[in-house]
Amino acid sequence: MDRRNFLKNSGLASTALFVPQFLSRFNNSGFNQNGKNLVIIQWSGGNDGLNTLVPFHNDLYYKNRPSLAIPKNKVLKLTDELGFNPMLAGMKDLYEEGLLTIINNVGYPNPIRSHFRSMDIWHTASDSNQYWQTGWLGRYLDQTKADYSPHKALEIDDALVLALKGKHKSGFAASNPAKLKKAANNNFLQKVAHHHNHDHEENVAYLYKTLIETQSSADYLFNQAKNSTRKGSYPSTSIGKDLATIANLIVKDTNTKIYYINMGGFDTHASQKNRQERLLKQYNDAIKIFVKDLQKNQKLDDTLIMTFSEFGRRVKQNASQGTDHGTANNVYFMGGKLKNPGIFNEAPNLSNLDEGDLIYSVDFRRIYASVLKNWLGVDPENVLLSTFEPLGII
Amino acid sequence: MPTLRKKISHLYWRAGFGISLEMLDQKSSLPLKETISKLLTDAKNPDLLTLQLPIYEQLAKGGKAMMKNADLRKKLQEENRGVNSFWIRNMATSKNPLLERMTLFWHGHFAMISRNNSNVSKNYINTLRTHALGNFGELVLAIARDPGMIKFLNNQQNKKGHPNENFARELLELFTMGIGHYSEQDIKEAARAFTGWRTNKNGVFTFSEKRHDYDRKTFLGQEGDFNGEDIIRIILEKKQTAKFIATKVYQYFVNQKINQEHVQELAYEFYNSNYSIEKLMRTIFESNWFYAEENIGTKIKSPIDLLVGMMKTLQLDLGSQKSFLFIQKMLGQILLNPPNVAGWAGGPSWIDNATLVFRLNLAGYLFKTQSVNVYAKPAFEDKARKKIKQKLSATMDLSPIINHFKNTDEAVIYASLSDWLIQTKLNIKKSEMDLFTKNDVTSDYVASLVLRLMTLPEYQVC
Repeated sequence: MDRRNFLKNSGLASTALFVPQFLSRFNNSGFNQNGKNLVIIQWSGGNDGLNTLVPFHNDLYYKNRPSLAIPKNKVLKLTDELGFNPMLAGMKDLYEEGLLTIINNVGYPNPIRSHFRSMDIWHTASDSNQYWQTGWLGRYLDQTKADYSPHKALEIDDALVLALKGKHKSGFAASNPAKLKKAANNNFLQKVAHHHNHDHEENVAYLYKTLIETQSSADYLFNQAKNSTRKGSYPSTSIGKDLATIANLIVKDTNTKIYYINMGGFDTHASQKNRQERLLKQYNDAIKIFVKDLQKNQKLDDTLIMTFSEFGRRVKQNASQGTDHGTANNVYFMGGKLKNPGIFNEAPNLSNLDEGDLIYSVDFRRIYASVLKNWLGVDPENVLLSTFEPLGII
Repeated sequence: MPTLRKKISHLYWRAGFGISLEMLDQKSSLPLKETISKLLTDAKNPDLLTLQLPIYEQLAKGGKAMMKNADLRKKLQEENRGVNSFWIRNMATSKNPLLERMTLFWHGHFAMISRNNSNVSKNYINTLRTHALGNFGELVLAIARDPGMIKFLNNQQNKKGHPNENFARELLELFTMGIGHYSEQDIKEAARAFTGWRTNKNGVFTFSEKRHDYDRKTFLGQEGDFNGEDIIRIILEKKQTAKFIATKVYQYFVNQKINQEHVQELAYEFYNSNYSIEKLMRTIFESNWFYAEENIGTKIKSPIDLLVGMMKTLQLDLGSQKSFLFIQKMLGQILLNPPNVAGWAGGPSWIDNATLVFRLNLAGYLFKTQSVNVYAKPAFEDKARKKIKQKLSATMDLSPIINHFKNTDEAVIYASLSDWLIQTKLNIKKSEMDLFTKNDVTSDYVASLVLRLMTLPEYQVC
């Protein structure tokens, strides 16, 4: 049954009666996002930073990794000390064009080597002995007032990551707006949504509100995402498809400010070389096209791309041609407005280790503070609930 | 005033996972007090999970060398997932609903993560079951000695001279008193008292004298040669502990919004009964306020509440461990895998756009009127981003409900089914629902209406 029939059947003539007030905000496009986009790519499983950005001038690297080290002559050299894994040729180009910043030795005190806990810590921005229930970007959304809508932060997935969950507001998960629209906006649920009224119990009212917002956001994103011309030009990998979706939305000035994607498979305890390089190649091939696409469409200056992983890996390789869970790692930023493109700080120190692991020198929350303050324009302390000095990266 | 039927439904939703129509009819002819007593008496006689763990047995016999076998470890993980689905099935089929409910509550309270070892998981669940309605002090002590918890909170590494404070900290902060009622120094002293509390390789609690710190300790203002038992005893002497637990119980079983008067009454009685959990629960279920309108249908069902409730109502079973896991993942609550030691926050935090849409479509997936078109996030260990189309293998038996309404007028069916399945006020009218039930693939009105009612936001609360 379509909407008109329903209205007729239910004897209600005017749709105005149904549209709750909270919807009018983004339906009327009174949305101000300052044009700035943040794209976060999460490498799940703990990417091996030392074989991504290789300290090819360091004998300890080769000593610790007799069969896993990248030979000096294969490294794509960026400086006298550091160079990329051979799969990252596109990233090297971005580096040379001043579109990439790499931060070394990022971590936090008392590091945890469990994927789950460490990712939790990255998502919530807590200390390693704190258990927080909200994510840092979720708390950023909590701070936003008039310009909030659920799809302001969009994860390209069917389930929502903790980083995007706030106390009062959360981001939005949709791997495919058309699919979500079908699931959330079928005839029955559309009709059900019209039963939202003011005498619902509080929790029921909250469920209705979430349903109606979801329907509205799914519709909006569906319209924004349709007729994409990018399918052929991006790789057909997961990351390629996800970035094509995001590029399409960004170029169409979608009211989404934060995009989040997850790339898994980095837990390389065994046979690391092929597995990691396959993933790095997928990332490289997709990100290069993505950055160039945004540049061509004059969106790169308004976009900041961040890539992180929950931890790096042990300096010494293990007995299975792999590496085990470690601590500090690199974080990558790309965009047209980087303050200090290039390699931001010192290379990892392989002679001073903590139980075989790198010792962090940059707390990841200083990076978040930079993003919050210098990109999203909010006071980091309100989100991080503690003072962290921003880095001069953005 | 809620009807007796509504009160019984409410009681069974909060003290269990809903009630069958047949049982509801039966209980409606008894005094409510009798129904409450039966629930409590049954739960005082806990049955333990009995599933066999052949892989664990094989590994235990083989010793350390066997544990190095990656293949066997993987099988052990699989067996552990079997404990998860066995437990959920048990919740749905048990004749002891309050025991199941209390066990789940304590799992959220004494949250422990066990992803790899079926034996650890099973023993931990049975620790909770044994004391679920017993004495809170004994429960805390059993948890302090539970091998799973010992490993999870690093008490294995807690020894004289090198105390590990993890367990002591959570014992005070999350398990008993709540933050702000002790000092950092109290944590340090408590940690010393629990030195040497370990688990052996067979997953059995042991006390290591040579690791234990026998020196004097000062804890919460008292001084002595305290061991772990003493620490728990002193914690229980503090009224704050009774208040902290009573508050949490109230928020879980009654209402997230605290009524100070009721909580104070509960805390007072809990303390004076020397922490009898049974008495605490009896006080709640026998109080008038538990059945007040403001407390009925005001709790957002947890994913497990929702799933087990549907399993009971529909006589539903999911054919595979994978299906159980998939639903838990998509809804955001995996048993034996809480986000961390603080457990699940509950309430509105269960809900985001993705979990809500999955919840509203779940009945359709199970009735197979809709195909599942979403994917769970891959595990960290997965080799790549997996995109395996999920099929839910589900079987159900609606005949008891259909037979119940044989030759019944549709209007009566509508009123009766919605009253049974929906705990909050329902605004949608039969005439509106007819537009859908008349066109549903399933030709049976009762089946169609059950499906539609379970698709409503109102079904998400109890």
